[in-house]
Amino acid sequence: MTKRMKKYRILLTATSIVVIISAIVFTGCKKDDNLPDDPADTFDRSALLTNYADSVIIPNFTLLDSKVDTLSIRTAAFNSSPDITGLYALRSAFLDAYKAYQSVCAFEFGPSETETFRTNCNTFPTDTAQIQVNISNGTYNLFLASNLDAKGFPAIDYLLYGRNTSDAAIVSYFSSANRKTYLSDLVLHLATHTQNVLTAWTSGYRATFIASNGNSIGSSLGYVVNQLNYDLEMIKNARIGIPLGKLSLNVPLPEKCEGYYANQSVWLASATLNNIENFYLGRSANGTNGPGLDNYLDHLGAQYQSGSLNSAIQQRFLDAKTKLQAIPDPLSTQVISNPAVVDSAYVAVKRLLILLKTDMPSNLGIVITYQDTDGD
Amino acid sequence: MATSLSSNLITKQVSIAPLAVFRIAFGMLLFASTLRFILKGWVDQMYVAPKVVFPYYGFEWVSPLPAGGMYAVFFIMLASTILIAAGFLYRYASIIFFLLFTYVELIDKTNYLNHYYFVSIVSFLLIFLPAHRYFSVDAKLRPSLVRTHVPAYMVWTIKLQLLLVYFFAGIAKINSEWLLEAMPLKLWLPAFNHFPIIGPLLEQEWVAYVFVWFGCVYDLFIGLLLINRRTIKVGYLLVVIFHGLTAMFFNIGMFPYIMIALTVIFFTDSFHERIINTLRNFLPGKSPQQHGLREHTVKPVLNRLLIGLLSLHFIIQVVMPFRYLLYPGDLFWTEQGYRWSWRVMLMEKAGTAFFYVRDAKTGRETEIMNSMYLTPMQEKMIATQPDMMVDYAHFLREEYTKLGFLNPSVRTECYVTLNGRGSTLIVDPATDLSAQTNNPFTNKHWILPYAQK
Repeated sequence: MTKRMKKYRILLTATSIVVIISAIVFTGCKKDDNLPDDPADTFDRSALLTNYADSVIIPNFTLLDSKVDTLSIRTAAFNSSPDITGLYALRSAFLDAYKAYQSVCAFEFGPSETETFRTNCNTFPTDTAQIQVNISNGTYNLFLASNLDAKGFPAIDYLLYGRNTSDAAIVSYFSSANRKTYLSDLVLHLATHTQNVLTAWTSGYRATFIASNGNSIGSSLGYVVNQLNYDLEMIKNARIGIPLGKLSLNVPLPEKCEGYYANQSVWLASATLNNIENFYLGRSANGTNGPGLDNYLDHLGAQYQSGSLNSAIQQRFLDAKTKLQAIPDPLSTQVISNPAVVDSAYVAVKRLLILLKTDMPSNLGIVITYQDTDGD
Repeated sequence: MATSLSSNLITKQVSIAPLAVFRIAFGMLLFASTLRFILKGWVDQMYVAPKVVFPYYGFEWVSPLPAGGMYAVFFIMLASTILIAAGFLYRYASIIFFLLFTYVELIDKTNYLNHYYFVSIVSFLLIFLPAHRYFSVDAKLRPSLVRTHVPAYMVWTIKLQLLLVYFFAGIAKINSEWLLEAMPLKLWLPAFNHFPIIGPLLEQEWVAYVFVWFGCVYDLFIGLLLINRRTIKVGYLLVVIFHGLTAMFFNIGMFPYIMIALTVIFFTDSFHERIINTLRNFLPGKSPQQHGLREHTVKPVLNRLLIGLLSLHFIIQVVMPFRYLLYPGDLFWTEQGYRWSWRVMLMEKAGTAFFYVRDAKTGRETEIMNSMYLTPMQEKMIATQPDMMVDYAHFLREEYTKLGFLNPSVRTECYVTLNGRGSTLIVDPATDLSAQTNNPFTNKHWILPYAQK
C-alpha cells in the first residue's frame, strides 16, 4: 500500500519537475525570438482602433457627407434650370462624391452594416430598364430591395451620362419633371444613408468600436480585416474580373463596369485600392500615418518567405496600384481592346489578396468573423 | 496478478453509481449544448442554408433534410437528452440520440469537430451500458430493473474512452512544431494581450513554450493521475485548470465543460453515491430507495458479445490515430489521416482558394465565385483541406455540365499558410480535381510537398 502510494507520489513529482524544468529551459533560451522582451512593449490594439476611428473612418465619412451635400446643392440648381453648365457642375460633384464613397466602402461593419450601406449606394451594374419604369411611373419606393439596382451612384451615373447620348440630349431629358424628381430622390437617399452612418459613428459606435479590442468573433479587428478583404475581392471580381470576362469564359462584359456611363471605372477602382492601402497602413486621407496593421504585423514579427510579411504586402500594394493605373480609362473598351493589361492588374490584385486574406489573419491570431461557430 | 487485474477491470462487480451520475451529466450537458446550438441559429446556418454539403467518403448517401426536418431532428435530440438524463425510456433515448447526432455530423465534414466525434462515440457506448438501472425514472417505474452493481468493465468502458482521448491528444502534441517552436500557440497567445494582468505576458515567447509543454505533459499523463485514488484530486484540479484555460483562450464552446463534468467518473464509488444522495434531497418524495445488493449479470453469450464489440471499438480507437503513417507527406499539410485522432488545437492553418472550371469545347476557363455556392465556413474549410477540394470539384463538374459545359474540368489555385509560414500553393494547380477521388486507400499525389522551413 505505502509502496504504491510512494510510486504515484514520485510520478506526480516527476511530472511537476518536467513542467517546471521545461518552463525554465525555454525561458533561458529565447535568443532568436522576434517578440518583445519587455512586457510594457505590448501592442496596443485600442490605439490602433482609435486611430482607425478618428483618423480614417470618421473623417472619410465626413468627407463623403460634405461631397454628397455639394451634390445635393448642384442637383437642386440643375433641376431648377437644366443646362449644359449645370450638368457639368453636377457631374463633377457626382464624381467627387463617388470617389469619396470609395474611401468608405471598406467599412461595412457596425453602422454601415446596419444601413446595408454598400448595396444601397453602389449596386452595379444598374438596371436601366427599372430606372425608366420608375421615372415614367413617377411612383416608386427606393427602400425596396427590388429598387437596389435602380438607385445609388450607379443609377445617378446613368442619368447624368447615358450611353451614346450627347450632353445636350441629356439636358433635354431633364425637362421631364419625373426625371428631376427621380434624380433628387436618388441624391437624397445617398445623403440619408451617409448621414445615418456618420451620425451612428459619432454618437456612440466609435466607443463601441474601440472598446471591442479583443480577438474573438465579433471583435473590431476581426471586422476590419474581414471587410478589408471583402472590399479587395470586390475590386478583383466586380470591378475588374467580371468586366474582363473572368466569370464568363473570358467573354468580356464591358457593361458590368463600375462607373460605366461616366467612363471612370479604373479611376474609381484605384481610389478603392488607395483606401484599402491607407486603411492597412492606418493612414488618414491627408497622409498622416498612425498605427495600422503594418505596425501590428511588424510588432508580431510576421514573416513571409525570407523577409517580413509587412514589406511583402506593401510591395504587392505598390504592384497592384501600378498595374491598375496602367489601364487607361474607359475600362469598358480596354477589356476588349487591351485585355492583357487588364489581366495583369487582375493578377496583381489577386496576389495582394492572397497575403491579406491568408497570411495576415493567420499571423494576427484573430478570429475572422466568418461565421459564429465553435472551434476544436 | 493477471487474473486479479482482469477481474478488477472486467468481471468484478462495482457500484453502478458512477454510471448513473455519468448518464445524468452527459444528458444535461448535451441538453445545454443542443439547445445552445439551436438558439445560436446554427441549425439554419449549417444544415439549412448550405447549397452544397460535404459528406464523408462512403457516406455520400447522407443528406440534410428540409428546414422543418432538420429542426425536428434537433428537437427530438433535445428531448432525448432529457430522457437520457432522467433515465426514462433510456435505451430508446440513447439509441435515438446516437443515431440523430451521428446523422447530423455525417452531413457535412465542414462542421467536423473532435468534440462532436467524442459525443457520437460516448452516446454509442451508452447504448450498451445499463446506466438507467439506478436512480432513474425507469428504475422507479420498474423496480425489477434496479441494479446496484455492474461488472467493472462497464464503468471502465467510459473511463478508457476518456483516457484515450487525453492520451492521443498528448501523442499528437509530440512533434517539433509544437514542442520546439511552440506553434501554433506562439501565434495565438499574443492576440490575448488585452487580458487583465496576464495579458502582457502572453506576448512573451517563453509563455507560449510553457503552455505547449504543459499541454503536452498534461495530456500524456493526466490519465495516470485520474485512475489512481490517491492522485485523483490533484488530477481533477489539473483537469479544471487545463480546460478552464482552453475555455478562456479558444472558441470551443461547451467542450471544456463537458470534459470537466465527465471526468468526475474517475472519482470513487462512494463519492458518486454522495452525489446521488445529494441529488435525491432535491427530488420530491425523498424516500431513499432501499435495495439490497443487486448485481447486474448479463447472459454469458451476450456478455461475450458485448465485450467483443467493445474490444473491437477500442482496437479501432487505438489504430485510427496512427493511420496517417500509411500516407506519404506531412500530416498537417495533407490532412490525410488527420480526423478522428484527437488532434485538437494543433495547428494554425488558413488558405485562399481560387477555383476554375474549364470547358473542353472552347478550351476556355471561368473562375468560380465560391460565395455563390458555399457558406463562409465552407469556403474557409475547402481552402485548407484537400479532400474537400475534391468534393467541391465534383460538385462544380456536375453543376457546369448542367450549365452546358462540355466535359468540364476543375482546378484550383490555392495558397495555404501553416503555423505562420508564408503561404504557398498546396495542390498542383494543373490537376483536374474533378477527376480525383477521396478513396482513403489512394494517396493524393497531387498535393504539393510541404515546404519545410
